[in-house]
Amino acid sequence: MLISKNLISLELCADTKRDAIEQLAKLAEREGKISAYTDYVQDVFKRESEYTTGVGGGIAIPHAKSQAVKEAMIVFGRFRNKIEWNSADDKPVNMVFLLGVPSENIDNLHLKIISQLARSLVNEDFVQFLQNAQSKDEIFNYLSGLQVS
Amino acid sequence: MNIVGITACTAGIAHTYIAKEKLLNAAKKLGHEAKVETQGTIGVEDELTAEDLKKADVVIIAADIGIAGRDRFKGLKVVDISIHTLVKSPEAVLKKIAEKIGG
Repeated sequence: MLISKNLISLELCADTKRDAIEQLAKLAEREGKISAYTDYVQDVFKRESEYTTGVGGGIAIPHAKSQAVKEAMIVFGRFRNKIEWNSADDKPVNMVFLLGVPSENIDNLHLKIISQLARSLVNEDFVQFLQNAQSKDEIFNYLSGLQVS
Repeated sequence: MNIVGITACTAGIAHTYIAKEKLLNAAKKLGHEAKVETQGTIGVEDELTAEDLKKADVVIIAADIGIAGRDRFKGLKVVDISIHTLVKSPEAVLKKIAEKIGG
């Protein structure tokens, strides 16, 4: 499953970008999505060093295509505090989608869903929805809906 | 202006599509026509056709990797930028291009 309720966490706290990414990566590891936590996190940071994944609107999408990813995944974390992310709009981030796809044998449907998610993040209404959602269920329901559209 | 574009980021899973969306939104806002082909890990989507290129005033290539099919743009005005630049300030990019080509 690309998305699951166990990969959504609201009310998190993180001081730094690294902390935020590591927390979300731990969730993914716990759910069996990654085979090598350190390698995956390293790959995410490698990508992050190319240019920022802070795309604006308080959202960041750190990600990696990595051998350490067993199965494509979308992990979502909403943080109670704002995190400096060197974003495209110079604003701090409090919502993070940590994405991962395996480096081989990637399911095209997963790529399609991730690309749809990426495109919706440019939409202010969707960003507002994420910011105001009261429960994991609300967010999970929306994200699962991406699979059928 | 009639804009065609190609977006292609390194991992090919996210920024490629965000850049496309931002370009399309900025074009709409500024009153331009636009069509954007993506070259991501999934492959090529919304491929630019010969028809599209015939009508185009400019080709914007926002890529951090080499793109496929550059020879299609022979004879057309091509602007190469990084994905980051496009994601950061899509409207500024389009305004600058419009100034340069008078569109």
